[in-house]
Amino acid sequence: MVSVLSPEPPNGGASSPPTLDAAALGRLRELDPDGRHGVLHRVLLAFETSLMRMLVQLAAERDSGHSGVVLSVAHTLKSSSASVGALQLSQACAEVERRLHAGAPGDLQADVERLMAAGESALVAVRAMLRA
Amino acid sequence: MTVVHPFADAGQTSVPEVLLVDDDEINLLLTGLGLRERGFKLSEAGSGEAALEMLREWTPDIIVLDALMPGLDGFDTCRRIRRMPGYENVPVLMLTGLDDDASITRAYEAGATDFFVKTTQWSLLTGRLHYLLRASRTRIELERSKSKLARAQDLARMGSFDWWRVDRGTRGGLRTSPEALRVFGFGPHEEVSLRLILRMVPHGDRRAFLRLLHGALKLSSVLATDVPVVLLDGRQRIIHVEAEPEFNEHGHGAGYTGIVQDVTERRQAEDRIRQLANFDALTGLPNRRQLIWRAERALEQARRLQHQFALLLIDLDRFKLINDTLGHGAGDELLVEVGRRLRACVRHSDQIADVAPDGSAAGARSHRALEAVGRLGGDEFVALLPEITADRDAERVAQRVLEALREPIFVSGQECFVTASVGVAIFPRDGNSVVDLLRNSDIAMYSVKAQGKNASAIYSPALASQGREKLELETALHKAIERDEIVLHYQPKIDVRAAKMVGVEALMRWQRGSVLVPPNDFMPMAEDTGLIVPLSEWALREASHQARVWRDAFGFNDSIAVNLPSRLFERSDLVEHIHQCVTASDVPHRVIRLEITEDNLMKELQNVIPALHRLNEIGVEISIDDFGTGYSSLAYLTTLPISELKIDRSFVRELGVTPQSSAVITAIIALARSLGLRVVAEGVETLRQLEVLHRLGCVVMQGFLFSRAVPPQDLQTWLEQTVLPRKAPWIGAASDADEVDGSLRAAGARPLR
Repeated sequence: MVSVLSPEPPNGGASSPPTLDAAALGRLRELDPDGRHGVLHRVLLAFETSLMRMLVQLAAERDSGHSGVVLSVAHTLKSSSASVGALQLSQACAEVERRLHAGAPGDLQADVERLMAAGESALVAVRAMLRA
Repeated sequence: MTVVHPFADAGQTSVPEVLLVDDDEINLLLTGLGLRERGFKLSEAGSGEAALEMLREWTPDIIVLDALMPGLDGFDTCRRIRRMPGYENVPVLMLTGLDDDASITRAYEAGATDFFVKTTQWSLLTGRLHYLLRASRTRIELERSKSKLARAQDLARMGSFDWWRVDRGTRGGLRTSPEALRVFGFGPHEEVSLRLILRMVPHGDRRAFLRLLHGALKLSSVLATDVPVVLLDGRQRIIHVEAEPEFNEHGHGAGYTGIVQDVTERRQAEDRIRQLANFDALTGLPNRRQLIWRAERALEQARRLQHQFALLLIDLDRFKLINDTLGHGAGDELLVEVGRRLRACVRHSDQIADVAPDGSAAGARSHRALEAVGRLGGDEFVALLPEITADRDAERVAQRVLEALREPIFVSGQECFVTASVGVAIFPRDGNSVVDLLRNSDIAMYSVKAQGKNASAIYSPALASQGREKLELETALHKAIERDEIVLHYQPKIDVRAAKMVGVEALMRWQRGSVLVPPNDFMPMAEDTGLIVPLSEWALREASHQARVWRDAFGFNDSIAVNLPSRLFERSDLVEHIHQCVTASDVPHRVIRLEITEDNLMKELQNVIPALHRLNEIGVEISIDDFGTGYSSLAYLTTLPISELKIDRSFVRELGVTPQSSAVITAIIALARSLGLRVVAEGVETLRQLEVLHRLGCVVMQGFLFSRAVPPQDLQTWLEQTVLPRKAPWIGAASDADEVDGSLRAAGARPLR
């Protein structure tokens, strides 16, 4: 919870720092081949802002037991994270969305934790890109 | 960044405007970028509510909606868009997840045009958008053309329908467009069955129409026919039905698609045109054009089947007189009645529609339907007998025609007696073409006229040569005046008591080569052709001139009587003309005396009276010729400005033969005396006649007894050699008669004067 709001989230352990999918980034670069319009930067900035807002929403819902907000966040993040190449987050969103959508029994809290972890990781990668 | 995408089609003239609605700003940003790069103009909304707000101000070409959004989601947004006026057909593309089947169904239910899986492959999305835009344009064009078609159909009172057979598993029956329903007088949403429409066809026509339908169905042939219907509100219409067969996959006739059209007005107009083109507006009989068409058909048939056919030309006698005296309105009334009677004389047929152009359709005897009476024009009618076996068949019809006119016709409040002259020409003997037959029936008709009218005659070549002679005579008469072939001869009027000439009557002769044509041979023709007018005018001029010549030669101081037809008295310039004639010859007006026959005078009395008064005022005296033969109104006679009565020669001829003639003459003399008129007896040929006339009180006479009509130069000789020397046997006869009178007086009888 603390880490969500910190400007520099922890690295997430000894594993290599999280990165964004090169193919996805390639597609984004195609939209602005010579970088004149700063498309990549704008998209990543927008994603960062959006992701941070959603992680806050998720944290707020973690203990409430209401799946609606979780489902909505998962749906939104699913496609936008895929767009910027945060594939792990996208995949997590898709799975959570599918489960909640189907009304399958499960642990909402665990889902939230999972989404938040993947979200934090994506945030690190995006910030790294933005700083690069 | 705007690039024309290869998907962009020719129908798209401007940059397509897209409203993109997504709550995810990343998606909004990326999709916006992707679409802008591919030539779209983008507007973005972050929620359904924001999108609806934007649509109130502006209409995009297409709307791309994210299905799942917080607040108003894509489905609800779509539903609301569809409810907005003008947004019923704007294409809406719903973006859903790849694995979201439920959303796809919901998208369609909400009114989305199509769905698409969210993607970062913008070219795929672009392709779909272009497809939807094109479909939308096509749909708009279709709607427009549909409404244009409906409007056009409505204007043309036309509608479409289809009809399907009941087949395995398919529901058959009639389907009609709202316009078609309107043609049959139904509202746009009424359910109408074929049976109901068939019941609107009048009973008499229904059977034939059904036969036609069954026939077409059996052969799967094209249907095109006009059928009368009576709409439920009672209006009668004519509906044109035109339909083509539809076939199923096995090639069997499955139904029909076609149109129905209300052609009532067109049919009425066509009927009217046909009526006007082929029938006489006054009598309703076939007109010249129609008659000739029928005659041509009859001729073809007669030629093929080798029988005779007859043309009867019927011309009313004296129709002009009726027209002139009773007016054209009465003339028309009379023609209508004559037309009605003539119709009854033949098996008149108005309906010849079933006679095909080759005359073959309605069987071998179909030409009989051509039989008719028609009006050729004016007072000329034609009876067409398409098949006769002998002349007497045509003669019988001609007699029937004459008989039909025998009863008086009541027009303008009075009875008219009309007769006709009928000329008959028979194919093939009297002509090989309709033109020849018409001409020859005309010749035959004229021969009837020449022989006294009110009869019929069949054409013969001899008549034609008579006709030719007549034509030549007419042509020659036209030239007679300018060639100075017309001359005046003069017959003296004698005062028998004084044994002196008291005037002359000018009589016209035609010196045609060496032949002197008597007036009876050319005056009727001059009357018919109107040449009588220039001839009479010439006569007045010539008489004036002659008076001058005689005055100079032997002191002639009497009057010259010139015969004028009544039509000349109706001319407003008669007085002026006479004035010019006498002035030119320097003789007084009284030198000219005008003779008009009693018949002529009484017939045209009202038209002639003003001229008589004017003539009288300038000193020209009027004499009534042939008096006693017509029917004078005595009341009029007392008021007319006349000065002389000429007793008709027929009474003089009978003097001493029948007692009535002397009674008539006595009455005429008494009448003349009481009116202060001079009496002249014409046609006096014997001394006996002279004596009796004188005894009855008639003093002035004219006739062979005294002199024939002689050329002008002979008159002076006659005067000098006969009258002046008092050598003629009649000189003295009057004084002898005076002596008889004296003896009668002595015997106590009253003398007749």
